[in-house]
Amino acid sequence: MNYYLQILTVIMINSILAVSLNLITGYTGQLSLGHATFMGIGAYAATLFTLKLHLPFLISIILGASVAAFFGFIIGVPTLRLKGDYLAIATLGFGEIMKNILLNLEITGGPMGLRGIPKVTNIYISAVALFLVIFSLNRIMNSRVGKSFIAIREDELAAEAMGINTTQFKILAFIIGAFYAGLAGGLYAFLFRYINPKDFGFMKSIEILCMVVLGGMGNTYGAVLGACIITVLPELLRSISPVIAQYRMVFYGLLLIIMMIVKPQGIISAPSSNKKEYKNSLEKGGQ
Amino acid sequence: MLMSKRSRFLTILFIIMLTAALLSGCSQNQSEKSPDTSQPAKPDETIKIGTIGPLTGNIATYGLSTKNGVEIAVEEFNQNGGINGKPIKLISEDTRGEQTEAANAASKLIEQDKVVAIVGGVISSETLTAGPIANDAKVVMISSSSTAAGVPEIGDYIFRNCLSDEVQAIQLAEYAVKELGLKKFAIMFTNNDYGLSLKEAFEAKAKELAGITAIETYNDGEKDFRAQLTKIKGTNPDALYIAGYYTEAAKIAQQAKDQGLNAQILGADGFYSPVLLELGGNAVEGAVFTAGFFTDDPSENTQNFVKVYKEKFNSEPDMFAAQAYDAAMILLTAIKNTDGKGGEVLQQEMAKTKDFPGITGNTSFTDVGDAIKDIIILKVEDGKFTKLR
Repeated sequence: MNYYLQILTVIMINSILAVSLNLITGYTGQLSLGHATFMGIGAYAATLFTLKLHLPFLISIILGASVAAFFGFIIGVPTLRLKGDYLAIATLGFGEIMKNILLNLEITGGPMGLRGIPKVTNIYISAVALFLVIFSLNRIMNSRVGKSFIAIREDELAAEAMGINTTQFKILAFIIGAFYAGLAGGLYAFLFRYINPKDFGFMKSIEILCMVVLGGMGNTYGAVLGACIITVLPELLRSISPVIAQYRMVFYGLLLIIMMIVKPQGIISAPSSNKKEYKNSLEKGGQ
Repeated sequence: MLMSKRSRFLTILFIIMLTAALLSGCSQNQSEKSPDTSQPAKPDETIKIGTIGPLTGNIATYGLSTKNGVEIAVEEFNQNGGINGKPIKLISEDTRGEQTEAANAASKLIEQDKVVAIVGGVISSETLTAGPIANDAKVVMISSSSTAAGVPEIGDYIFRNCLSDEVQAIQLAEYAVKELGLKKFAIMFTNNDYGLSLKEAFEAKAKELAGITAIETYNDGEKDFRAQLTKIKGTNPDALYIAGYYTEAAKIAQQAKDQGLNAQILGADGFYSPVLLELGGNAVEGAVFTAGFFTDDPSENTQNFVKVYKEKFNSEPDMFAAQAYDAAMILLTAIKNTDGKGGEVLQQEMAKTKDFPGITGNTSFTDVGDAIKDIIILKVEDGKFTKLR
């Protein structure tokens, strides 16, 4: 049964990643292409806290996530003054810089990565982590802060006119997102017992973005669903039949394309993501 | 509120459906497999072994070669009556070269397919992730190409049948100083585990025996190395040791020649591919490098393997295929001795392997499970590989 448990655990970890990117991209509307980097920072930091300082697992992953959040702040301050494509490129650059730092530092083991990490993460720990992440995120989204995030996505100018300090809130979204991603990174490191800078590269960032877009931007459950599909699909295609297994990456790509053609807004579309629809629903509600 | 409730319901529904599909997909797989092996023997009498490696993605060639090599070994055994009459079935899993996939593939092979042993992973990061899983499950795993330091040290059940980076770099440094009379070395290494291991070992040995003038780094996939080469040229070395793979090595050699850097090109087993000659042309002429396997080796075993490989896959076997073939032969011989039993018995049998006559040299294992074998040194002469040692 370990095989299924392992896949389920990876689903939980990927869900945390998708949910956290969804906060930045889906709710606050800031396109980030360096999300895996925060995961990597969390993974490396948590691992180093355990391997070098011999801190217990729980403290390590929380500290690891905090380090990721700190980096989220450092990166957020200069880049979040940028908009749209420029922000995307800046986050992309940040990802490449961090990858090269991890590749060249001695303490991170360079390209050898870090090994000998104890196996602690299991299905229960990751499920509790996912629950806590979704729970706290829901609390945030129902608060004034969350409404400000959505206001920024819908219309930054209008939000500013309403007295929201948009830059500050965008940085806050980045910090929270980075914290969750760092947490997922820590769980990942303690699951696979070996980490390497290649794991947290551009492709992983794109994979997380795929989860969010596929599931439905701006919807936490959509992000979870996207993470499930992206994680399970390659494994499912592996087991259906040997013929499909051979071309599974072709099917994987094909299915993603088909889903995007059939439902471009994602499987579960966000409430009020479309202004017209939102207006309509308001009018209907008023009648 | 209504929306979020509906979407929560939808999410849960989808998750249940996906899980169900995954479970049914797997059980379907098992029922489908039985007719496949409906040869004389009953299905439960087949001996299953697995391979894990990248069969898709940008390093798929390594994984495919490995799989092909293992396939030939399995076929050879099956033609000679399998494992004491029981046929061997090979199950190959794709990893895309990713760690998560490697871990999943190893778990699947061990738990779903119940393989006796695994040949793999292909690249070191795969083996370092999948290795602990196999070791915990007491399934013997032999990697035929994960050259990074620390791979056999994962555990008792992890073996390795290839040249370690360390050993080949040290032996080449000795050879270069003593036989080729080179004095001043420059190093260019690819910034990954492979390049770094080679560089560290070569640097240490070359410093001890002669001198190092410059060390530069590059990343796989890069095409322009002129900046690094200009710096190296300034230090005027006798030889340039390229710790990397053939695609980049060929380009480095060419750009070095264009810049007028007249240094002896040295390399490691990452050089050994016909692609080096195609891409490198004149620039790689005279290059000297270490290798684990040489296609034109006159020995009967090697020539036989090359012939079968060419007939079956219509291409020249490379080092990955040869080492995988040998790894599979060692593994299957051990399985034959244990009469198909895996686990602890197989682990002990594997550890006993001594001077196994393979096509990549006679192989024994050290206490931790690393291979000890002779190192071949090759040279490019007239656009062909020739054996120096």
